[in-house]
Amino acid sequence: MPYALCFLLFVIGLYCAVVKKNMVKIVIGIMIMEYAVNLFLIMLGYRIGGIAPIIDKGALKPGTEQLTAAFLNTSVDPLPQALVLTAIVISLGSLALMISICIRTYERYGTFDITKIRRLRG
Amino acid sequence: MKGMTIIVKTISSWVKVLIFLFGIYIILFGHLTPGGGFAGGVILASSYVLLMLAFGREFAEKNLSLPVASKLDCAGAFAFAVIAILGLVLGGSFFVNFLYQKYLPGQALNLISAGTIPLLNIAIGLKVAASLFLVILTLSIFKPDISANKKEQN
Repeated sequence: MPYALCFLLFVIGLYCAVVKKNMVKIVIGIMIMEYAVNLFLIMLGYRIGGIAPIIDKGALKPGTEQLTAAFLNTSVDPLPQALVLTAIVISLGSLALMISICIRTYERYGTFDITKIRRLRG
Repeated sequence: MKGMTIIVKTISSWVKVLIFLFGIYIILFGHLTPGGGFAGGVILASSYVLLMLAFGREFAEKNLSLPVASKLDCAGAFAFAVIAILGLVLGGSFFVNFLYQKYLPGQALNLISAGTIPLLNIAIGLKVAASLFLVILTLSIFKPDISANKKEQN
């Protein structure tokens, strides 16, 4: 069921990116799609009743650097979280690129409406 | 573009130091607690963005100018690559944690531990802070000048 809600969020973003005519709204739709995918990846690593995968004194066997079995059995998967952190960084970069393209287009045409941006200008 | 009111200027001149220190804390403790290079770098950049919003773009640019920020950006990326290639040279494989294997074994959960990971965190933090500040500064340079543009094209 949560995965279906994730997919619903993705479809909302896709609708916003395809149907809307304002360039800023298209950017918002693309970002909603990216967040839906991030949410899906985070939920893949989730475990019901799990704890955060942060290692502190209680998670190590005394005297060694080995993780205890209780920590390994209850903590959620940290790998999708690292992946999603990288994806957030990349989506920040692509968001800056899209926003600067929008600014340039507005500077050139004076509108955000993509149906009015038709003439090629050099 | 001379900034906001005196209330916002006073409060932000107090708060910007705390935000900057918190960003440095997040970067330095990135291998022990949640956080790390990216989160700390964003917090560092947000302190400069607060400066830019409260005092105007010229003040922030005087504080950290565009060429200096660009050089910091390149320095962060260069340090990251150098540490990664040092792993290849000293440890035999790319991104090998050569400090941990040779010099710092058996010191988990201390501030000085985990080998090259804090150094990589610092490099990423420098890179992210400088580049995010550059992004927002570059976006704020834009001034709408539609009428002159249309006159030129018609």
